[in-house]
Amino acid sequence: MAVFQAALINEIEKLYKKKKVMVAIFISLAVIVVGQLIIVGMRTGFGLRGVGSVEFPILVLSVVVNTILPLLTALVAIDCFSSEFSNNMMRVTLTRPVSRFKIFTAKVTTIVIFILFNLFVLFAFSLLAGFLFNANSATVAGFFKIVLSYSVSLIPMIVLALGIVFLANIFKNGTSVFFVSILGFLILKAGAVLFSQYSSLFITSQLDWYNLWLASSFPFSRIGHQLLIMLGYGIMFFTAGYYLFDKKEY
Amino acid sequence: MNKVIEIKDLTKVYPNGRGILDINLDIYEGDIFGFLGPNGAGKTTAMKIMTGLISADSGDVRIFGHSITEEYEKAMAEVGCIIEVADSFPFLSAYENLKQFSRYYPGVDDQRIDEVLEITGMIKFKHEKPRKFSLGMKQRLGLAAAIISRPKILILDEPLNGLDVEGMIDIRKLIMLLAEKEKTTFFISSHLIHDVELTCDRIGVIYNGKMLNVDRTDNILQNYATLENYFVSEVERNGRVPSSTNQ
Repeated sequence: MAVFQAALINEIEKLYKKKKVMVAIFISLAVIVVGQLIIVGMRTGFGLRGVGSVEFPILVLSVVVNTILPLLTALVAIDCFSSEFSNNMMRVTLTRPVSRFKIFTAKVTTIVIFILFNLFVLFAFSLLAGFLFNANSATVAGFFKIVLSYSVSLIPMIVLALGIVFLANIFKNGTSVFFVSILGFLILKAGAVLFSQYSSLFITSQLDWYNLWLASSFPFSRIGHQLLIMLGYGIMFFTAGYYLFDKKEY
Repeated sequence: MNKVIEIKDLTKVYPNGRGILDINLDIYEGDIFGFLGPNGAGKTTAMKIMTGLISADSGDVRIFGHSITEEYEKAMAEVGCIIEVADSFPFLSAYENLKQFSRYYPGVDDQRIDEVLEITGMIKFKHEKPRKFSLGMKQRLGLAAAIISRPKILILDEPLNGLDVEGMIDIRKLIMLLAEKEKTTFFISSHLIHDVELTCDRIGVIYNGKMLNVDRTDNILQNYATLENYFVSEVERNGRVPSSTNQ
Protein backbone atom coordinates (compact mmCIF):
# COMPACT_ATOMS: atom_id res chain seq x y z
CA MET A 1 0.00 0.00 0.00
CA ALA A 2 2.88 2.38 0.81
CA VAL A 3 4.28 1.88 -2.70
CA PHE A 4 0.90 2.59 -4.31
CA GLN A 5 0.54 5.66 -2.10
CA ALA A 6 3.97 6.91 -3.26
CA ALA A 7 3.00 6.30 -6.90
CA LEU A 8 -0.30 8.15 -6.39
CA ILE A 9 1.33 11.16 -4.69
CA ASN A 10 3.87 11.31 -7.54
CA GLU A 11 1.14 11.25 -10.20
CA ILE A 12 -0.90 13.94 -8.44
CA GLU A 13 2.22 16.11 -8.04
CA LYS A 14 3.04 15.75 -11.75
CA LEU A 15 -0.52 16.71 -12.73
CA TYR A 16 -0.50 19.70 -10.42
CA LYS A 17 2.90 20.92 -11.62
CA LYS A 18 1.78 20.79 -15.24
CA LYS A 19 -0.82 23.46 -14.38
CA LYS A 20 -3.65 21.36 -15.87
CA VAL A 21 -5.67 21.84 -12.69
CA MET A 22 -5.49 25.62 -12.99
CA VAL A 23 -6.62 25.41 -16.62
CA ALA A 24 -9.57 23.24 -15.56
CA ILE A 25 -10.58 25.73 -12.84
CA PHE A 26 -10.29 28.64 -15.25
CA ILE A 27 -12.37 26.95 -17.98
CA SER A 28 -15.01 25.83 -15.47
CA LEU A 29 -15.27 29.36 -14.12
CA ALA A 30 -15.51 30.78 -17.63
CA VAL A 31 -18.37 28.39 -18.53
CA ILE A 32 -20.31 29.38 -15.43
CA VAL A 33 -19.75 33.11 -15.89
CA VAL A 34 -20.76 32.95 -19.56
CA GLY A 35 -23.78 30.78 -18.74
CA GLN A 36 -24.96 33.10 -16.00
CA LEU A 37 -24.44 36.18 -18.17
CA ILE A 38 -26.59 34.61 -20.91
CA ILE A 39 -29.34 33.88 -18.40
CA VAL A 40 -29.20 37.37 -16.90
CA GLY A 41 -29.23 38.83 -20.40
CA MET A 42 -32.29 36.74 -21.36
CA ARG A 43 -34.09 37.76 -18.19
CA THR A 44 -33.44 41.48 -18.48
CA GLY A 45 -33.43 41.84 -22.26
CA PHE A 46 -36.27 39.51 -23.27
CA GLY A 47 -38.18 39.24 -20.03
CA LEU A 48 -37.73 35.46 -19.98
CA ARG A 49 -37.61 33.70 -16.63
CA GLY A 50 -34.30 31.90 -17.28
CA VAL A 51 -33.44 29.35 -14.59
CA GLY A 52 -33.64 29.41 -10.81
CA SER A 53 -30.85 28.74 -8.32
CA VAL A 54 -31.54 24.98 -8.38
CA GLU A 55 -31.88 24.64 -12.13
CA PHE A 56 -28.73 26.60 -12.97
CA PRO A 57 -26.20 24.02 -11.63
CA ILE A 58 -28.16 21.25 -13.42
CA LEU A 59 -28.15 23.31 -16.62
CA VAL A 60 -24.38 23.79 -16.28
CA LEU A 61 -23.95 20.05 -15.70
CA SER A 62 -26.01 19.18 -18.77
CA VAL A 63 -23.67 21.34 -20.88
CA VAL A 64 -20.30 20.38 -19.36
CA VAL A 65 -20.80 16.58 -19.25
CA ASN A 66 -21.10 16.62 -23.02
CA THR A 67 -18.42 19.21 -23.73
CA ILE A 68 -15.61 20.49 -21.55
CA LEU A 69 -15.61 17.74 -18.94
CA PRO A 70 -14.88 14.93 -21.47
CA LEU A 71 -12.42 17.25 -23.22
CA LEU A 72 -10.45 18.07 -20.07
CA THR A 73 -10.60 14.44 -18.97
CA ALA A 74 -9.19 13.37 -22.35
CA LEU A 75 -6.36 15.92 -22.06
CA VAL A 76 -5.42 14.73 -18.59
CA ALA A 77 -5.66 11.01 -19.49
CA ILE A 78 -3.48 11.60 -22.56
CA ASP A 79 -1.03 13.60 -20.50
CA CYS A 80 -0.75 10.84 -17.89
CA PHE A 81 0.03 8.16 -20.46
CA SER A 82 0.89 9.29 -24.00
CA SER A 83 3.11 12.22 -22.98
CA GLU A 84 5.20 9.95 -20.82
CA PHE A 85 5.38 7.25 -23.50
CA SER A 86 6.58 9.64 -26.19
CA ASN A 87 9.18 11.39 -24.02
CA ASN A 88 10.52 8.10 -22.63
CA MET A 89 9.58 9.45 -19.21
CA MET A 90 7.84 6.21 -18.32
CA ARG A 91 11.27 4.58 -17.89
CA VAL A 92 12.06 6.90 -15.00
CA THR A 93 9.13 5.53 -13.02
CA LEU A 94 9.22 1.94 -14.22
CA THR A 95 12.77 1.32 -13.04
CA ARG A 96 11.77 1.97 -9.43
CA PRO A 97 10.58 -0.79 -7.07
CA VAL A 98 6.95 -0.41 -8.06
CA SER A 99 4.91 -2.83 -10.16
CA ARG A 100 3.32 -1.76 -13.42
CA PHE A 101 -0.11 -2.55 -12.00
CA LYS A 102 0.42 -0.04 -9.19
CA ILE A 103 1.66 2.63 -11.60
CA PHE A 104 -1.29 2.05 -13.93
CA THR A 105 -3.77 2.12 -11.04
CA ALA A 106 -2.15 5.25 -9.59
CA LYS A 107 -2.45 7.01 -12.95
CA VAL A 108 -6.11 6.00 -13.35
CA THR A 109 -6.83 7.07 -9.75
CA THR A 110 -5.22 10.45 -10.47
CA ILE A 111 -7.50 10.91 -13.48
CA VAL A 112 -10.52 10.00 -11.31
CA ILE A 113 -9.41 12.51 -8.66
CA PHE A 114 -9.09 15.13 -11.40
CA ILE A 115 -12.64 14.43 -12.65
CA LEU A 116 -13.95 14.56 -9.09
CA PHE A 117 -12.15 17.84 -8.47
CA ASN A 118 -13.44 19.27 -11.74
CA LEU A 119 -17.02 18.26 -10.92
CA PHE A 120 -16.65 19.75 -7.46
CA VAL A 121 -15.36 23.06 -8.85
CA LEU A 122 -18.26 23.20 -11.32
CA PHE A 123 -20.73 22.28 -8.59
CA ALA A 124 -19.43 24.90 -6.15
CA PHE A 125 -19.20 27.72 -8.71
CA SER A 126 -22.54 27.01 -10.37
CA LEU A 127 -24.27 26.71 -7.01
CA LEU A 128 -22.76 30.00 -5.92
CA ALA A 129 -23.75 31.69 -9.18
CA GLY A 130 -27.29 30.25 -8.90
CA PHE A 131 -27.69 31.61 -5.37
CA LEU A 132 -26.20 34.99 -6.19
CA PHE A 133 -28.49 35.62 -9.12
CA ASN A 134 -31.66 33.87 -8.01
CA ALA A 135 -31.69 32.96 -4.33
CA ASN A 136 -35.51 32.98 -4.03
CA SER A 137 -36.05 29.52 -5.49
CA ALA A 138 -33.44 27.76 -3.27
CA THR A 139 -34.68 24.67 -1.38
CA VAL A 140 -32.98 21.92 0.62
CA ALA A 141 -34.49 19.26 -1.66
CA GLY A 142 -33.17 21.16 -4.66
CA PHE A 143 -29.70 21.27 -3.14
CA PHE A 144 -29.69 17.47 -2.65
CA LYS A 145 -30.80 17.03 -6.25
CA ILE A 146 -27.78 19.02 -7.40
CA VAL A 147 -25.40 17.06 -5.14
CA LEU A 148 -26.86 13.78 -6.45
CA SER A 149 -26.61 14.84 -10.10
CA TYR A 150 -22.98 15.90 -9.81
CA SER A 151 -22.05 12.81 -7.76
CA VAL A 152 -23.55 10.24 -10.15
CA SER A 153 -22.00 12.03 -13.15
CA LEU A 154 -18.62 10.83 -11.90
CA ILE A 155 -19.36 7.24 -12.96
CA PRO A 156 -19.84 7.71 -16.74
CA MET A 157 -16.90 10.14 -16.76
CA ILE A 158 -14.68 7.45 -15.20
CA VAL A 159 -15.79 4.96 -17.88
CA LEU A 160 -15.05 7.52 -20.59
CA ALA A 161 -11.62 8.22 -19.03
CA LEU A 162 -10.86 4.47 -18.98
CA GLY A 163 -11.78 4.30 -22.66
CA ILE A 164 -9.32 7.12 -23.42
CA VAL A 165 -6.66 5.43 -21.27
CA PHE A 166 -7.18 2.29 -23.35
CA LEU A 167 -6.69 4.32 -26.55
CA ALA A 168 -3.61 6.01 -25.05
CA ASN A 169 -2.10 2.56 -24.62
CA ILE A 170 -2.80 1.62 -28.24
CA PHE A 171 -1.42 4.75 -29.93
CA LYS A 172 2.01 6.05 -29.07
CA ASN A 173 1.27 9.63 -30.04
CA GLY A 174 -0.88 11.84 -27.81
CA THR A 175 -2.26 13.81 -30.74
CA SER A 176 -3.54 10.62 -32.37
CA VAL A 177 -5.24 9.60 -29.12
CA PHE A 178 -6.85 13.02 -28.83
CA PHE A 179 -8.27 13.01 -32.36
CA VAL A 180 -9.38 9.37 -32.20
CA SER A 181 -11.09 10.14 -28.85
CA ILE A 182 -12.93 13.15 -30.32
CA LEU A 183 -13.88 11.21 -33.44
CA GLY A 184 -15.05 8.25 -31.34
CA PHE A 185 -17.05 10.58 -29.12
CA LEU A 186 -18.80 12.18 -32.09
CA ILE A 187 -19.48 8.81 -33.76
CA LEU A 188 -20.97 7.42 -30.56
CA LYS A 189 -23.10 10.54 -30.12
CA ALA A 190 -24.38 10.25 -33.71
CA GLY A 191 -24.81 6.48 -33.29
CA ALA A 192 -27.00 7.01 -30.25
CA VAL A 193 -29.29 9.24 -32.33
CA LEU A 194 -29.35 7.01 -35.42
CA PHE A 195 -29.80 3.77 -33.49
CA SER A 196 -31.88 5.13 -30.64
CA GLN A 197 -33.16 1.67 -29.66
CA TYR A 198 -29.58 0.72 -28.74
CA SER A 199 -28.60 4.11 -27.31
CA SER A 200 -28.22 2.74 -23.79
CA LEU A 201 -25.27 0.69 -25.05
CA PHE A 202 -23.34 3.78 -26.12
CA ILE A 203 -21.04 5.20 -23.43
CA THR A 204 -21.73 8.76 -24.50
CA SER A 205 -25.46 8.33 -23.83
CA GLN A 206 -24.69 7.48 -20.25
CA LEU A 207 -23.16 10.92 -19.66
CA ASP A 208 -26.70 12.22 -19.17
CA TRP A 209 -27.75 9.42 -16.84
CA TYR A 210 -27.99 11.84 -13.89
CA ASN A 211 -31.43 12.70 -15.35
CA LEU A 212 -32.64 9.24 -14.31
CA TRP A 213 -31.80 10.09 -10.71
CA LEU A 214 -33.92 13.23 -10.87
CA ALA A 215 -37.07 11.47 -12.11
CA SER A 216 -40.09 11.83 -9.84
CA SER A 217 -40.73 8.06 -9.80
CA PHE A 218 -37.33 6.51 -9.20
CA PRO A 219 -36.51 4.14 -12.12
CA PHE A 220 -34.64 1.42 -10.19
CA SER A 221 -34.42 -1.06 -13.05
CA ARG A 222 -33.17 1.49 -15.63
CA ILE A 223 -30.56 2.82 -13.22
CA GLY A 224 -29.44 -0.73 -12.40
CA HIS A 225 -29.32 -1.58 -16.10
CA GLN A 226 -27.22 1.51 -16.96
CA LEU A 227 -24.95 0.97 -13.98
CA LEU A 228 -24.21 -2.61 -15.03
CA ILE A 229 -23.48 -1.54 -18.60
CA MET A 230 -21.06 1.12 -17.35
CA LEU A 231 -19.47 -1.33 -14.94
CA GLY A 232 -18.99 -3.77 -17.82
CA TYR A 233 -17.38 -1.11 -20.01
CA GLY A 234 -15.25 0.09 -17.11
CA ILE A 235 -13.92 -3.38 -16.30
CA MET A 236 -13.22 -4.12 -19.97
CA PHE A 237 -11.40 -0.83 -20.60
CA PHE A 238 -9.40 -1.09 -17.38
CA THR A 239 -8.35 -4.67 -18.09
CA ALA A 240 -7.51 -4.06 -21.74
CA GLY A 241 -5.68 -0.81 -20.90
CA TYR A 242 -3.64 -2.49 -18.19
CA TYR A 243 -2.86 -5.48 -20.42
CA LEU A 244 -1.40 -3.16 -23.09
CA PHE A 245 0.42 -1.06 -20.47
CA ASP A 246 1.95 -4.17 -18.92
CA LYS A 247 3.12 -5.57 -22.27
CA LYS A 248 4.66 -2.29 -23.45
CA GLU A 249 8.39 -2.30 -24.02
CA TYR A 250 10.51 0.77 -23.32
CA MET B 1 31.29 -14.37 -2.65
CA ASN B 2 27.53 -13.91 -2.86
CA LYS B 3 25.86 -13.99 -6.22
CA VAL B 4 23.77 -10.82 -6.52
CA ILE B 5 22.70 -10.99 -10.17
CA GLU B 6 22.04 -14.24 -11.97
CA ILE B 7 21.30 -14.13 -15.69
CA LYS B 8 20.18 -17.46 -17.05
CA ASP B 9 19.68 -18.47 -20.69
CA LEU B 10 18.50 -14.98 -21.57
CA THR B 11 17.23 -14.64 -25.12
CA LYS B 12 15.46 -11.77 -26.81
CA VAL B 13 15.27 -11.48 -30.59
CA TYR B 14 13.69 -8.43 -32.22
CA PRO B 15 11.75 -8.69 -35.50
CA ASN B 16 14.85 -7.40 -37.35
CA GLY B 17 16.78 -10.44 -36.14
CA ARG B 18 18.96 -8.55 -33.68
CA GLY B 19 18.95 -9.00 -29.93
CA ILE B 20 20.65 -11.34 -27.49
CA LEU B 21 21.02 -15.10 -27.56
CA ASP B 22 21.34 -17.43 -24.61
CA ILE B 23 23.21 -15.08 -22.26
CA ASN B 24 24.41 -16.64 -19.00
CA LEU B 25 26.15 -14.45 -16.48
CA ASP B 26 26.68 -14.24 -12.73
CA ILE B 27 27.60 -11.03 -10.94
CA TYR B 28 29.01 -11.23 -7.43
CA GLU B 29 28.79 -8.84 -4.53
CA GLY B 30 31.34 -6.03 -4.81
CA ASP B 31 32.02 -6.58 -8.52
CA ILE B 32 32.52 -3.63 -10.81
CA PHE B 33 31.45 -5.50 -13.88
CA GLY B 34 32.12 -4.01 -17.29
CA PHE B 35 29.78 -5.08 -20.06
CA LEU B 36 31.81 -4.44 -23.15
CA GLY B 37 30.67 -4.52 -26.71
CA PRO B 38 30.27 -2.40 -29.82
CA ASN B 39 27.08 -0.47 -30.60
CA GLY B 40 24.23 -2.84 -31.36
CA ALA B 41 25.89 -5.82 -29.64
CA GLY B 42 22.96 -6.29 -27.25
CA LYS B 43 24.20 -4.52 -24.10
CA THR B 44 21.18 -2.25 -23.71
CA THR B 45 18.76 -5.07 -24.55
CA ALA B 46 20.24 -7.20 -21.77
CA MET B 47 20.15 -4.28 -19.33
CA LYS B 48 16.56 -3.40 -20.24
CA ILE B 49 15.53 -6.97 -19.47
CA MET B 50 17.48 -6.82 -16.20
CA THR B 51 15.50 -3.75 -15.15
CA GLY B 52 12.12 -4.97 -16.37
CA LEU B 53 11.73 -2.44 -19.18
CA ILE B 54 11.35 -5.19 -21.76
CA SER B 55 10.53 -8.86 -21.41
CA ALA B 56 12.75 -11.71 -22.53
CA ASP B 57 11.66 -14.33 -25.06
CA SER B 58 13.13 -16.93 -22.71
CA GLY B 59 15.38 -17.12 -19.68
CA ASP B 60 15.29 -15.12 -16.47
CA VAL B 61 17.19 -12.59 -14.41
CA ARG B 62 17.36 -12.92 -10.64
CA ILE B 63 18.51 -10.06 -8.45
CA PHE B 64 19.24 -11.05 -4.86
CA GLY B 65 17.40 -14.28 -5.66
CA HIS B 66 14.21 -12.52 -6.81
CA SER B 67 13.01 -13.04 -10.36
CA ILE B 68 12.64 -9.78 -12.27
CA THR B 69 9.48 -11.08 -13.96
CA GLU B 70 7.77 -12.60 -10.94
CA GLU B 71 8.91 -10.46 -7.99
CA TYR B 72 9.70 -7.13 -9.62
CA GLU B 73 9.37 -4.90 -6.56
CA LYS B 74 11.59 -7.13 -4.43
CA ALA B 75 14.14 -7.57 -7.21
CA MET B 76 14.40 -3.80 -7.79
CA ALA B 77 14.28 -2.77 -4.13
CA GLU B 78 18.05 -2.36 -3.89
CA VAL B 79 18.84 -1.49 -7.49
CA GLY B 80 19.57 1.89 -8.99
CA CYS B 81 19.91 2.30 -12.73
CA ILE B 82 20.36 4.48 -15.77
CA ILE B 83 19.26 2.91 -19.04
CA GLU B 84 20.29 4.57 -22.32
CA VAL B 85 19.57 8.17 -21.32
CA ALA B 86 19.32 9.63 -17.83
CA ASP B 87 15.75 10.89 -18.15
CA SER B 88 14.03 13.21 -15.70
CA PHE B 89 10.74 15.08 -15.70
CA PRO B 90 11.42 18.40 -17.48
CA PHE B 91 8.61 20.29 -15.71
CA LEU B 92 9.90 19.42 -12.23
CA SER B 93 13.01 20.91 -10.62
CA ALA B 94 16.05 18.73 -9.86
CA TYR B 95 14.90 18.55 -6.24
CA GLU B 96 11.30 17.67 -7.18
CA ASN B 97 12.54 14.95 -9.53
CA LEU B 98 14.59 13.37 -6.78
CA LYS B 99 11.72 13.79 -4.32
CA GLN B 100 9.52 11.76 -6.70
CA PHE B 101 11.99 8.87 -6.68
CA SER B 102 12.67 9.13 -2.94
CA ARG B 103 9.02 8.35 -2.13
CA TYR B 104 9.54 4.74 -3.20
CA TYR B 105 12.23 4.17 -0.59
CA PRO B 106 11.65 4.36 3.15
CA GLY B 107 14.33 6.39 4.91
CA VAL B 108 15.25 8.63 1.98
CA ASP B 109 14.70 12.19 3.19
CA ASP B 110 15.50 15.73 2.03
CA GLN B 111 18.93 15.49 3.63
CA ARG B 112 19.75 12.52 1.40
CA ILE B 113 18.49 14.45 -1.64
CA ASP B 114 20.89 17.29 -0.82
CA GLU B 115 23.65 14.75 -0.25
CA VAL B 116 23.28 13.13 -3.71
CA LEU B 117 23.01 16.54 -5.35
CA GLU B 118 26.24 17.50 -3.59
CA ILE B 119 28.00 14.25 -4.61
CA THR B 120 27.07 14.71 -8.26
CA GLY B 121 27.88 18.43 -8.26
CA MET B 122 24.28 19.46 -8.91
CA ILE B 123 23.45 21.17 -5.62
CA LYS B 124 23.64 24.65 -7.16
CA PHE B 125 21.01 23.63 -9.70
CA LYS B 126 18.68 22.14 -7.05
CA HIS B 127 15.72 24.35 -7.92
CA GLU B 128 16.26 24.52 -11.67
CA LYS B 129 14.30 22.48 -14.18
CA PRO B 130 16.12 19.87 -16.30
CA ARG B 131 14.73 21.33 -19.55
CA LYS B 132 17.47 23.97 -19.17
CA PHE B 133 20.21 21.43 -18.40
CA SER B 134 23.03 20.34 -20.70
CA LEU B 135 23.37 16.63 -21.53
CA GLY B 136 26.14 16.30 -18.94
CA MET B 137 24.00 17.93 -16.23
CA LYS B 138 21.09 15.63 -17.10
CA GLN B 139 23.45 12.66 -16.81
CA ARG B 140 24.60 13.87 -13.38
CA LEU B 141 21.00 14.27 -12.24
CA GLY B 142 20.29 10.77 -13.54
CA LEU B 143 23.19 9.46 -11.48
CA ALA B 144 21.88 11.31 -8.42
CA ALA B 145 18.51 9.61 -9.00
CA ALA B 146 20.20 6.23 -9.39
CA ILE B 147 22.12 6.44 -6.11
CA ILE B 148 19.46 8.18 -4.03
CA SER B 149 18.31 5.00 -2.29
CA ARG B 150 21.87 3.85 -1.44
CA PRO B 151 21.37 0.86 -3.75
CA LYS B 152 23.45 -2.27 -3.36
CA ILE B 153 23.53 -2.70 -7.13
CA LEU B 154 23.92 0.00 -9.76
CA ILE B 155 23.11 -0.86 -13.35
CA LEU B 156 24.52 1.86 -15.57
CA ASP B 157 24.14 1.85 -19.33
CA GLU B 158 26.77 4.13 -20.86
CA PRO B 159 26.96 6.35 -17.75
CA LEU B 160 29.60 8.63 -19.25
CA ASN B 161 27.51 9.61 -22.27
CA GLY B 162 27.47 13.35 -22.72
CA LEU B 163 30.00 14.06 -19.99
CA ASP B 164 33.09 16.19 -20.52
CA VAL B 165 36.51 14.97 -19.34
CA GLU B 166 36.04 16.49 -15.90
CA GLY B 167 32.63 14.87 -15.63
CA MET B 168 34.02 11.49 -16.70
CA ILE B 169 36.74 11.66 -14.06
CA ASP B 170 34.21 12.70 -11.39
CA ILE B 171 31.85 9.84 -12.22
CA ARG B 172 34.70 7.33 -12.33
CA LYS B 173 35.81 8.54 -8.90
CA LEU B 174 32.24 8.27 -7.65
CA ILE B 175 31.99 4.68 -8.87
CA MET B 176 35.26 3.77 -7.13
CA LEU B 177 34.15 5.54 -3.95
CA LEU B 178 30.78 3.77 -3.80
CA ALA B 179 32.37 0.42 -4.56
CA GLU B 180 34.94 0.90 -1.83
CA LYS B 181 32.90 2.63 0.90
CA GLU B 182 29.41 1.21 0.42
CA LYS B 183 30.42 -2.06 -1.26
CA THR B 184 28.06 -1.25 -4.13
CA THR B 185 28.07 -3.77 -6.96
CA PHE B 186 28.24 -2.20 -10.42
CA PHE B 187 27.06 -3.50 -13.76
CA ILE B 188 28.30 -0.98 -16.27
CA SER B 189 27.98 -1.12 -20.02
CA SER B 190 30.21 0.90 -22.24
CA HIS B 191 31.67 0.95 -25.69
CA LEU B 192 34.56 3.04 -24.34
CA ILE B 193 37.18 0.34 -23.83
CA HIS B 194 39.69 2.60 -22.05
CA ASP B 195 37.07 3.67 -19.58
CA VAL B 196 36.06 0.09 -18.79
CA GLU B 197 39.74 -0.79 -18.30
CA LEU B 198 40.16 2.01 -15.77
CA THR B 199 36.98 1.32 -13.83
CA CYS B 200 35.98 -2.34 -13.91
CA ASP B 201 37.49 -5.34 -12.17
CA ARG B 202 35.57 -7.97 -14.18
CA ILE B 203 34.78 -7.78 -17.83
CA GLY B 204 32.31 -9.55 -20.08
CA VAL B 205 32.47 -9.19 -23.83
CA ILE B 206 29.25 -9.29 -25.80
CA TYR B 207 29.25 -9.37 -29.58
CA ASN B 208 26.37 -9.89 -31.99
CA GLY B 209 24.10 -10.74 -29.07
CA LYS B 210 26.34 -13.49 -27.73
CA MET B 211 28.46 -13.52 -24.61
CA LEU B 212 32.00 -14.26 -25.77
CA ASN B 213 33.93 -14.37 -22.52
CA VAL B 214 34.02 -13.18 -18.91
CA ASP B 215 37.29 -12.64 -17.06
CA ARG B 216 38.95 -10.52 -14.39
CA THR B 217 40.59 -7.31 -15.63
CA ASP B 218 43.90 -8.11 -13.93
CA ASN B 219 43.98 -11.58 -15.59
CA ILE B 220 43.28 -10.01 -18.96
CA LEU B 221 45.98 -7.38 -18.55
CA GLN B 222 48.52 -10.08 -17.66
CA ASN B 223 48.03 -11.63 -21.07
CA TYR B 224 47.26 -8.58 -23.20
CA ALA B 225 48.86 -5.15 -23.35
CA THR B 226 45.51 -3.40 -23.34
CA LEU B 227 41.86 -4.28 -22.99
CA GLU B 228 41.41 -3.26 -26.60
CA ASN B 229 43.81 -6.03 -27.71
CA TYR B 230 41.86 -8.51 -25.61
CA PHE B 231 38.56 -7.35 -27.07
CA VAL B 232 39.85 -7.65 -30.64
CA SER B 233 41.34 -11.06 -29.92
CA GLU B 234 38.09 -12.33 -28.37
CA VAL B 235 36.04 -11.12 -31.30
CA GLU B 236 38.57 -12.50 -33.78
CA ARG B 237 38.51 -15.87 -32.06
CA ASN B 238 34.81 -15.93 -32.78
CA GLY B 239 35.55 -15.01 -36.38
CA ARG B 240 33.56 -11.83 -36.60
CA VAL B 241 35.95 -8.91 -36.29
CA PRO B 242 35.78 -6.18 -38.90
CA SER B 243 39.09 -5.67 -40.66
CA SER B 244 39.47 -2.06 -39.48
CA THR B 245 39.60 -3.03 -35.80
CA ASN B 246 42.21 -5.68 -36.50
CA GLN B 247 44.92 -3.21 -37.30
